[in-house]
Amino acid sequence: MAFRWSRMSPQLALTPAVAITVVAFIGSILWTIYVSFTSSKAFATYGIDFTDWARQYERLFKDKGWTIALKNMLVLGIGSFLAIVFGFILAALIDREKRGEGFFRTVFLYPLAVSLIVTGVAWRWMFNPSFGLQGALHSIGLTFISFDWLSKPETAMYGIILASVWQGAGFYMALMLSGLKSINTEIWSAARLDGVSFWRLYAEIIIPMMKFTFLTCAILLSLGVVKAYDIVVAMTNGGPGQATWVPGYFTINAYWVKSNLAYASAAAALMLGITALIFLPLVLLTAWRERARTS
Amino acid sequence: MSTGLLSGDARVEAAPRFPRKRKGISGRSIAILVFLSICAAFFCVPLYVIVTTSFKTMEQIREGAIFSLPSPITFEAWVNAWDHACSGIRCEGLKVGFWNSVAILFPSLMLSLTLSSITGYALALWKVRWAGTFLFILFICAFVPFQIIMIPLIILSSGLKVYGTIWGIAIIHAVLSMPFLTLVFRNYYKGIPQEIMSAAMMDSGSFWRVFGEIIVPMSGNIFIVVLILQVTSIWNDFLLGLTFGGLGTQPMSVVLANVVITTTGEAAYNENMAAALLTAIPPLVIYFILGKFFVQGITAGAIKG
Repeated sequence: MAFRWSRMSPQLALTPAVAITVVAFIGSILWTIYVSFTSSKAFATYGIDFTDWARQYERLFKDKGWTIALKNMLVLGIGSFLAIVFGFILAALIDREKRGEGFFRTVFLYPLAVSLIVTGVAWRWMFNPSFGLQGALHSIGLTFISFDWLSKPETAMYGIILASVWQGAGFYMALMLSGLKSINTEIWSAARLDGVSFWRLYAEIIIPMMKFTFLTCAILLSLGVVKAYDIVVAMTNGGPGQATWVPGYFTINAYWVKSNLAYASAAAALMLGITALIFLPLVLLTAWRERARTS
Repeated sequence: MSTGLLSGDARVEAAPRFPRKRKGISGRSIAILVFLSICAAFFCVPLYVIVTTSFKTMEQIREGAIFSLPSPITFEAWVNAWDHACSGIRCEGLKVGFWNSVAILFPSLMLSLTLSSITGYALALWKVRWAGTFLFILFICAFVPFQIIMIPLIILSSGLKVYGTIWGIAIIHAVLSMPFLTLVFRNYYKGIPQEIMSAAMMDSGSFWRVFGEIIVPMSGNIFIVVLILQVTSIWNDFLLGLTFGGLGTQPMSVVLANVVITTTGEAAYNENMAAALLTAIPPLVIYFILGKFFVQGITAGAIKG
């Protein structure tokens, strides 16, 4: 009997994790997708009107807020790419000039230890039109620079991008740095002996060698952009107007403010769809790397 | 490079090379260091601004010179932020949020570390049916946006009568971090040499005894990495605290957001900055003391995931 118990132990130990996966993840995702086809308002109702099953999605695409949210997500994604570029430049320079590596790494990474709410609050203060950076710049005569981005609908997203880049660049720097360090040191000396120029070395040898790292960074960044919520709440709370709505904000808003369960579920289901679109390359990438490693 | 010094013929070369390295800094190095220092300054500006603002009086802030040093230095904003800052209609300061965050942190850490380390261990070192499929599902679950499971989790936790309680938030944290942490543990345990496992199996062969006597003592490093990762992510979390926190059980970041966003009349900027700093201090302290483990934690999942 004791023998059989010990054979059962691994299965038993996995029960909580399996239960969580089935209930909190798989079950919950299916539930949300199902509810997105109903007409639930504040409480869940489970009847589906099959003649009009896609009504929430139709409404969603007619909703100006959702269009703005999707557009902002794209803007944020493109803008946040600066964080990867910036992170790579920092990593390459740190890796080349070994002096002060510890110091620079510590400084570039500390924003990551700070929450997005704190980051948002700090930048919100610096963007303050009267007492923030703008005031300081104007007082030394640089009146042509305006730094009140958050209070104007056209520029508010750029403010959020700046704060996200500030927060995230260090993370990509850390990933790039570990990628650079895994490059064989002989390549550097070989390139020096052959007289390959600095720019060509990076453009033609180093960056192609780091394509896995770049792809990983790009996918992680995109997944982060789809989830973006905290930073928007802390900096603009969606405003001015709806100018800085993102899908995450839209969904939470549909549930808590409009208390429309089915509508929020439909938005969440579309967020999942976008995540899946980004996620697919990641799965393929992992399989590809696994094959590269074994062969 | 150092191996060259050990072989006989390299020693001759090594002698002149040593002073060459100390000869001074090349122009390119100076350019790189200057550029990196400018970037470092950019990264430090927000920190400088919040620290100085938090020590200023409101009169000085109204002068508009954001970069000036505080004079006179006052701790009033810090005291106010901790004790009296208003979040909505309650004016009890951030201390309530701080103690809530602490109360959420401990049970949540216990739960998530136990759950994920045991799951990771079972998946990495024992023959379990469907282990590969389960790992793949966990991998996908680790990236699912929170919004897609938010509503059912709210309904479930209300049904279990934990919605809006400290325990509710703690359990949700453990549940949501389980897939990712399990993968981290599983990857670490996969690296344990097969010989050690075989010897352990010969010795006792019991699932729990091998875990308790051999695996746990070997995994000090990974426990610290995961611990730091979890402490910072639970402390910095906003969305879960906002969704599952009740009126008196909101964690610190939610209280901070309320204090800053829901101000009526003129905002007390010095108080807001002090509040932001109070919230940021615990993870920053961890980062500056245990930075190495912090970096390992944030890159572990990304690279091996």
